[in-house]
Amino acid sequence: MQTLRGTKLAIFFGLFPALLIYLGIAIVPIGLSLYYSVMNWNGIGSMAFVGIDNYVKILSNATFWLSVKNNVIIMVTGLIGQLPLGLLLALLLSRGLRGSGFFRTIGFMPVVISSVMVSLIWGMIYNTEYGMLNNLLAAVGLESWQQNWLGDDKWSMLSISIAYIWQNCGLYMVIFLAALQSIPDEVNEAAELDGATGFKRTMRITIPMIRSTIMVCVVYSISNSFRVFDLIQILTGGGPAHQTEVMTIYMYNSAFMNMRYGYGSAVSILILLFSLVVISVMNRLGSEKDA
Amino acid sequence: MKKKSGLFQLFAYTFLSLFAIMNIVPLFWMVVNSLKKEQEYAANPFSFPTSLQFSNYMQAWKVANMDVYFFNSILVTFVSLIVTVLLGALAAYFLSRFKFKLRGLTYSLFLLGMLVPIHATLIPIFLIMQKLHLIDTYLSLILPYTAFHLSLTVFILEGFMRGFPKDMEESGVMDGAGIYRIFWSIILPITRPALATVVILNFIYNWNEYLFALVLITSSEFKTLPLGLANFVGIETASLTLQMAALTIALIPIIIFYLLLQKQLVNGMTAGAVKG
Repeated sequence: MQTLRGTKLAIFFGLFPALLIYLGIAIVPIGLSLYYSVMNWNGIGSMAFVGIDNYVKILSNATFWLSVKNNVIIMVTGLIGQLPLGLLLALLLSRGLRGSGFFRTIGFMPVVISSVMVSLIWGMIYNTEYGMLNNLLAAVGLESWQQNWLGDDKWSMLSISIAYIWQNCGLYMVIFLAALQSIPDEVNEAAELDGATGFKRTMRITIPMIRSTIMVCVVYSISNSFRVFDLIQILTGGGPAHQTEVMTIYMYNSAFMNMRYGYGSAVSILILLFSLVVISVMNRLGSEKDA
Repeated sequence: MKKKSGLFQLFAYTFLSLFAIMNIVPLFWMVVNSLKKEQEYAANPFSFPTSLQFSNYMQAWKVANMDVYFFNSILVTFVSLIVTVLLGALAAYFLSRFKFKLRGLTYSLFLLGMLVPIHATLIPIFLIMQKLHLIDTYLSLILPYTAFHLSLTVFILEGFMRGFPKDMEESGVMDGAGIYRIFWSIILPITRPALATVVILNFIYNWNEYLFALVLITSSEFKTLPLGLANFVGIETASLTLQMAALTIALIPIIIFYLLLQKQLVNGMTAGAVKG
């Protein structure tokens, strides 16, 4: 192919449009975020260089740390709620039970629905007066269990976490299922001949065989937990009194509600850093065990 | 694998059924109640409707501006999708089938995009769009949707095209076809399975996107379906049955799409997740 005339020009014209849009909209802005993050700027007036001042302010802000805490809650929810549940479901579905296809279809459905829709539906479930949950509790005579699910700071993060599990569990289920189905039959047969059946085989053979997929899902789930925005923005907007705020909402409010673009950019850089650090730590932990 | 104990089956089916019920009930509850009169819902949110109020749907369609939102969503989704897939396929072609000096760098640059949370770019993108006077235009959404989905598109297509045998293009060269001709008539057709995956993924991502729309669109005229719905529910708090009707209208097309293209969609999302 290299002998073709004008190849270089053709390559240039082939890559240029994609690169231009991609670099211009996805990569250059990261640099700009870094630049704005050392500025004090309300978007209208002139920018003033303030060095690491924004970062210092953010890191000494209690609301920011509250949002970090909530991000950690979402992260843990993903790791101990979604992943084991998704894995268990995949293990059950991989046994060739009748109706597996049906359960897979239903299980994956919430992943396809937009997170806005998921949030609005869960908003109706949690609605204090008209919601499904409180009405259901009343219907079975458990009025005393009724709560202000999203408005009470004892319950709000838990309520959000459950909606978050509901939304994403199916994704991990199908990823694990795909991995389980790629295990060769001989492995299972050999295990059975050696007397490893049922639970024992699952723990000793099956799960170790899909270790790398589990690791990918762990990293994916963590990085997703730093990106949560729609669900919380719509369910609670971060309230009551910042109790359900996560870093992305803190950033959104700083920049677009309070017009502090420099400060908001610094938060967005911190989101980027936090997620990169956690992911690289997880990756390292994963590869150490492999060695 | 052959013999399954009754106890295991009992546990499996109970667990799977509970899970399925958890997934279905919220949607079912919403659809059923969307067909009720408001008073009927208030009286008993768990009964079946005594008479079907399809008028809720007409009213929701009108009050919620659903025609405008559907139109905007369709337009933005498909234009971004076509641009992403065309440019992505072209880029993937050159990255997979040619050797050139900056190949490695260009490819890594594209992959980098999968690691970057869009939130780290949101403020600059808003400011850029503002400067270019693109706030409240279709282009302000089409550009980010295209840019951010090029990574996964290039990644999936490049991997697929790389797998073709080396002499794939030879017959084309013999016939005197140019590089672009070969791309269009030989490479693109055999990339069809991967293209299908990428098209479906882009469709779902664009159709469901919220954050960019929230920041870059303020006028009702340009709102997409997720943004429009979120606003509608925020404003129209008086009538829950109306809200449910609006949500059901938006839900039905995506559920049909899902049921029709289930297999490819699951494969695509799985690939996207594993690779992303």
